[in-house]
Amino acid sequence: MSHKEFSIGPIAVAQSSTAKHSVAERVEVINAISAIKNGPKVLKLYMETCAKCGTCASVCPIYYGSPDPNLNPARRSDLIRAIYKKHCTTSGKVLGGLVGARDYDEGELKSWVEHFYSCSGCRRCAVYCPFGIDNSVITRKGRAILDKLGLTPDKMKLVVDVSLKTGNTDNVGKEGFLAAIDFLEEEMRDEHGIEIKIPVDAVGAEYFYVPPSGDVLVNPEATTGVAKVFHVLGMGARWTMSSTCFDGANYGLFTGDDNAMKQDNKLYVEEAKRLGVKYMFMGECGHAYRIMKMMMEKGGWWGKLPFKVINCMEWTAEQIAAGRLEFDKSRNPQPVTYHDPCNFGRSCDITEAPREILKASCKEFREMYPNRGENWCCGGGGGLSAIDEILEFRMKVAGKKKVEQINETGARYVAAACSNCKRQLMQLTEYHKMEVAVGGVHDMLSRSILVDGKAAERTELE
Amino acid sequence: MQGLAMFVGGVLPYFAIGLFLIGMGYRIRVWIKTPQPGKMTIFPAPKSATRGILAEVFFFPSLFKGDRGLWAMSWTFHVTLVLVFLGHLRVVTGLIDSTLHSMGVSEAGVQWMSSTVGGIAGIVMLATGLALFFRRIYTVRAREVSSFSDFFALLLLLAIIVTGDLMRFAGSHFDLAQTRVWVASLLSFSPVVPHSGMFLVHALLGQILLMYIPFSKILHLGGIFFTQALVQRR
Repeated sequence: MSHKEFSIGPIAVAQSSTAKHSVAERVEVINAISAIKNGPKVLKLYMETCAKCGTCASVCPIYYGSPDPNLNPARRSDLIRAIYKKHCTTSGKVLGGLVGARDYDEGELKSWVEHFYSCSGCRRCAVYCPFGIDNSVITRKGRAILDKLGLTPDKMKLVVDVSLKTGNTDNVGKEGFLAAIDFLEEEMRDEHGIEIKIPVDAVGAEYFYVPPSGDVLVNPEATTGVAKVFHVLGMGARWTMSSTCFDGANYGLFTGDDNAMKQDNKLYVEEAKRLGVKYMFMGECGHAYRIMKMMMEKGGWWGKLPFKVINCMEWTAEQIAAGRLEFDKSRNPQPVTYHDPCNFGRSCDITEAPREILKASCKEFREMYPNRGENWCCGGGGGLSAIDEILEFRMKVAGKKKVEQINETGARYVAAACSNCKRQLMQLTEYHKMEVAVGGVHDMLSRSILVDGKAAERTELE
Repeated sequence: MQGLAMFVGGVLPYFAIGLFLIGMGYRIRVWIKTPQPGKMTIFPAPKSATRGILAEVFFFPSLFKGDRGLWAMSWTFHVTLVLVFLGHLRVVTGLIDSTLHSMGVSEAGVQWMSSTVGGIAGIVMLATGLALFFRRIYTVRAREVSSFSDFFALLLLLAIIVTGDLMRFAGSHFDLAQTRVWVASLLSFSPVVPHSGMFLVHALLGQILLMYIPFSKILHLGGIFFTQALVQRR
């Protein structure tokens, strides 16, 4: 039934699973699904509660882009749900299809790669489902099963491995990072004619800034923005970055590999302890903040912490509200809109702070609709934006709604507080030949904040 | 025939109700006991979690935002289902009658409510049930996630509604007094089974539904409290 071949990729992945033969593979899959019996509660309930009403499909960005039955969220989730019913419920064993059960077909696992990597895990379905069913939880379970059997897409696996080895997802060493920081300080010197420092490895600092590595290496204005805020507040010596932990990105969330996710997270928690900071000061990276705040801190992964997890946008917005920062809005004359990254809006409730920063630093702010917790995913969530071989799927299907939403605003700059969103949005604007620039939130602040009464001198304006 | 009637009216009820209670009790116990290591958070979240859950249970606001047409069908269907369920309770207990009486409603008024409100509910429930059935066939996104069990649940409900409506609107009118005697006889474990064929069919289907609920998608009538409670936590 629902596991017929369809193509979103094809996604580069191992030829076959690590199981010795198809019978062993089948046993592994069924054992993993049967484990749901013992929890987590959320997955177990999702196995038993769906009414198959199709509302998730009405609100899903992927299904909106292409109403292919294989892209219907409830149907994707049924890949696991039906097998669970068959093996874990008396009714499923006895009545089979009568209660929506089906058995695992030997060899179908490989097709799960495309199924579970065609969901961006944006959780929009959970907002509209009458039962609050969050299909991304089931997607992650599917990915976890694939991961255990060595069928995580090559690109994703690489990112996880590199991050565990080097502490960052870009495979950049300490020298590369320091060179990038030098470059950023030089940029700020050019912009303002004064020295604005980005402290590195400063033991005893209060704030440990953890951006996604992209905000240091690829779109560094977010980081210069943060540096300028600290400078203006006279707090230039009270924050620090780390030359070994400068990338909050954590792809274990996306591959379903809890161990890798916690291992990667631990590096950062240990580093924060070593630096003796009061605040784990998370940058503009949605899933990094979600893991740190909603999962690690709230879930108490590492016991009692000597620091608090906060986000740079909320912090900066507080400074603006307190009247401590000034801007020359004319530096950002173009209409600007904000794309709520799913992990910040829906998952962490950070929706107002980025808007306050943009409104303070730009001449014209425009909303896209719907927004905040109801915003449509960019189509690159759940790690999809890192998978190059599904570019066409991301551009034509997953990001279709986003393109329409951006076009409706008429904005010339889309701010997104997330490196994955930014990558997807940049590719979307290029692919669809839109005259729209893409960047972060602090980027706009960096361009218009007054340092010693002057905004940055920029030679070229985007 | 006599034996079959005796089975449907005198034996099966004990089994059906027992299975329903045990099945639901088991499910709910397991739902409560299954561990949930992390918290689920989803925003926008209501200020009060309890109020949020109750709102979802009574008014389906999430569905309202997501699919208004389905909301209209589904909410109406469920509300009439509850009304009709309350009406059926009159067979088991005089409590509803006496409550209405104490509120100043006369006996004639209660009869009028039963036939008018109950009648309208029966018709509306049939109409919205059919609408849901045809939606499942003709709305692609619903059809492609439907299996036999989804249609079966609706057909079973529709069959119960139709037989119920037939008793109210066609030929042999439903006999409340006789049904009360039947329930009382069941409670004293000396069943006296009514003769009406339509009644027995209706009762049989109702009991099948009762037994089917703990093992089927209709379980969502209990699951909603738990799934919503999970997602509303902050």
